[in-house]
Order: sequence, then structure tokens, then C-alpha cells
Amino acid sequence: MEAVKEKEDFEPRITAFLCRWCAYAGADLAGVSRLEYPPNIIPIMVPCSGRIDPQFILLALKNGSDGVLIGGCHTPNDCHYISGNFKALKRFALLRKYLKQLGINPNRVRLEWISATEGKKFSQVVKEFTEFLKKLGPLKLR
Amino acid sequence: MKKQVKIAIVAGASCGGCDVAIANLHERLLDVVARSDIVFWHTIADFKKEDLEKQRNIDFGIFIGSIRTEEHLELAKILRERCNFLIAFGTCACFGGMFGLGNVAERYELLKVGYITTPSTENPREVIPGNKFEVNGVDLTLPRLTEWCMPLNKVVNVDIFVQGCPPIEEAIDKFYETIIAYADNGVAPERGTVIAGGKTLCDICPREKPEKITIKRFRRVHEGPIDPNKCLLAQGIICLGPITIAACNAACIRANMPCRGCFGPPPDVLDRAAKFISTIASLVEIENEKLLSDEELIKIVEEIEDPLGTFHRFTFPSGLINKKQEDAEE
Repeated sequence: MEAVKEKEDFEPRITAFLCRWCAYAGADLAGVSRLEYPPNIIPIMVPCSGRIDPQFILLALKNGSDGVLIGGCHTPNDCHYISGNFKALKRFALLRKYLKQLGINPNRVRLEWISATEGKKFSQVVKEFTEFLKKLGPLKLR
Repeated sequence: MKKQVKIAIVAGASCGGCDVAIANLHERLLDVVARSDIVFWHTIADFKKEDLEKQRNIDFGIFIGSIRTEEHLELAKILRERCNFLIAFGTCACFGGMFGLGNVAERYELLKVGYITTPSTENPREVIPGNKFEVNGVDLTLPRLTEWCMPLNKVVNVDIFVQGCPPIEEAIDKFYETIIAYADNGVAPERGTVIAGGKTLCDICPREKPEKITIKRFRRVHEGPIDPNKCLLAQGIICLGPITIAACNAACIRANMPCRGCFGPPPDVLDRAAKFISTIASLVEIENEKLLSDEELIKIVEEIEDPLGTFHRFTFPSGLINKKQEDAEE
């Protein structure tokens, strides 16, 4: 019973690495359109999703995040730097495998393509992801 | 002002290769022996823990191997107290080494496989290290495993790191020079020194590298011939050159084998596997990224079966997340 209660009270912390051109602009649009989404997210602007080193994600998880959101431009043609989003996609696929081997639920890291016009999608993704992490519970590293 | 330098050589979880490497310097070893007094080396002669405890003012304490049992932990702490400069010698002491891969399981699971369930093992009394058992009326205990395998610097402060598996002659030579300089002129080595090359293996690799490396599919070493003059990554073979320090003279590469990364990462790498995921994944199908669907790209990347074991083969305990976690299932 206590464990259930703990889960209900639990507010996940999400670190979000958002690319400057699409996902961050999408988050901005969600803001100016006054769309609501949970306050559990800590956005960090990066120049491109291709700049996100898997080390950043592990560092975020190690330092107390329960989930990590990566936001980039839609494939194949939206990336401002031509192919950064593909780098993110391929790294993400391999990182998921690595996380599984570490015993961490790979769904704690989520990759989403969000364009600058998709404020609605951004708020939807954050809502869904927060709900998912609430159900999953906190990440306790040892 | 010449002085006799006191040296103690202590081994943790190690294969013995580093001990051999220390002795493998031919005549140069005589210079060191002339200036030093080796007070403890339990791989070579019958020394016990008490012999190390009796010692005071050791100048150089050389620790070989990683921390895997409680005895190693104790020895490391005693050595740290008794010596002036502590040296992590070899990959295991610096990063945890191959023993570190044991961190993918709990210690009890490891012992169960190793001592009880293997088909070739007959152990009806289920004797495992850490438990007391009786032989001919005498109680015996082997040291318990520590909860996880650790590199030396997670347990005590380390002054000098000598990387390599085992460190090559040049590195040991450099290290001996430090000892001789200390003995002859009293020059103390700088704490925090890393004795290894500063560049990555790719920098000294003799192979021909194309302008753009692109991997169409991953290939294992036994699948077909390997071109001895062309970059291995460009041939689809996983080579850890980009994240391995160039302190080995590219011995494996010259023998037409890919690098497994035994010399450890260059400085400033926080998590080697994550760093290599970044490198290798971005090389996949660089030229056709836009022609393939996301799923097709992911499929090629996922051909790598074991990212942890391949990229972290020698360094898992020094990574950012360095042990098996317990998290809710998918």
C-alpha cells in the first residue's frame, strides 16, 4: 500500500535536450500559445540533436533525472545542419541497447521529432512522458 | 645524494601479466635494483599481509590489478597508508579491467555460476569464497568478494597512473626513470601524472583512412578477409582505435586485428561506451541516410549485439553508470 502511495506522490524529473531550430522553437510555441504541460521538464537548448553526446544522457540519469527527452527536427529533411538528426537517431538506437544491458528501462530515454510549428505535439509529448514515468517510478541508481 | 628507494608491489585481481612486464626490462632492471629495495612482492616470493603492515615509509607502492575481494581492498588501504607515492599500474588498476565486466551481475550470481552450477564443477558442500568451511578439522575461509569490482582510484587516492595491458616497455622505462630520478636527485614525481601517450590510437595507426568512413553493415573478424592496409572501421569491423590511448604502438592493428581497447581511454572521457556509441553510430550509412527509412538505419545499428561488453570490455567499473541496475521492466 505504501509503495503505491509513493508512486502516486512521485513527481518525475525530466531533462530535455532540445535542438535550437525545431524542438526548442516548438517548446517556445507551446509557451506563447499558452498550452498547458506538466512542469516536470527541465529544457536544455543544444545547437542540434546531433550535438547530444550519449554521455550527456548518462550524466543526466546519474545526477537525478528519471527520464531524458531528446527533441530534434523531423527526418529526413528538416535538420538545419543537414544530417544531425540522423546522428541522434542512430546513437539513440544503440544507447537503448546499452541501457538495457545496464538494467535501466530504455524507455526512460525518449526521442521525438518536433518541428517549430508543433507546439501542440510538444505539450502532448511532455504530458505523455510524465505520465509514463509516474507509472514507472523513480530511477534509483546504486 | 643517492638513496635506496623502498618499493612494494602489491597485486589485486590481476592475471600476473603486469608482474611479468615489470621484470621484463632486461638490463635496465639492474639500474633500478641497484637503487632500490623491494620490500614486498607477493607474486614473486611468499609475503603475507603482516609483512606489508610491518613496513614503514615505502617510497613507491605499485598496485597491480583491480579491487575484487575484501583482501584486495585491505591491501590497497594498507599500501596507501605506508607509501609516499601510490602507482596504479596497468589497465586493471587504472580502470577496472576485464574483471570489471563481472559488474553486470550480483556477486552471488557470479559465485553461483563459477563455483556451483557449471557442468564441470562438483561441489556438493557448495563451498564458495566468503563462507567458512571445514577441512580435516581446520576452519578455512577465502576472502569474500567486494560487492562490485572497482578500479584503485575509487578506493584510495592514486598519485601516478601507468596505462596499458600490460604497459609497454617505453612506458615502464619512463616510469623507471621517475624512480631513478627520485633516488639519485630527489626529484619527486608530480602527483596525478598519467604515463601513456596523449593521442588516440587512430593518430598513430599506419592504415590508410578514407576521407569519409561509412559503414554499410557490421562485420566480424572471421567473416571474410581483412584488407591489411585499409582502416578497419571503413571495412565495417568494430575497432576501438578512436577511444583508445596510443600507448601500444598499434601492435594489434599491425597484426591485422582490430583494437579491443585494452590500453584504456584518452583523458577526459567520462564514459567510454557512451563515447564510442556516439562515434560508431554516426558512421553508419553516412552517404545514404536520407534514402533509408529510420527503421532501416536502426536495424543496421542494432547489428551490434553487445555494446557494453564490446565498448567497455576493459573499463566498465570506471564508467558513469558502472554496475547493473535494478529498474522496472519494460
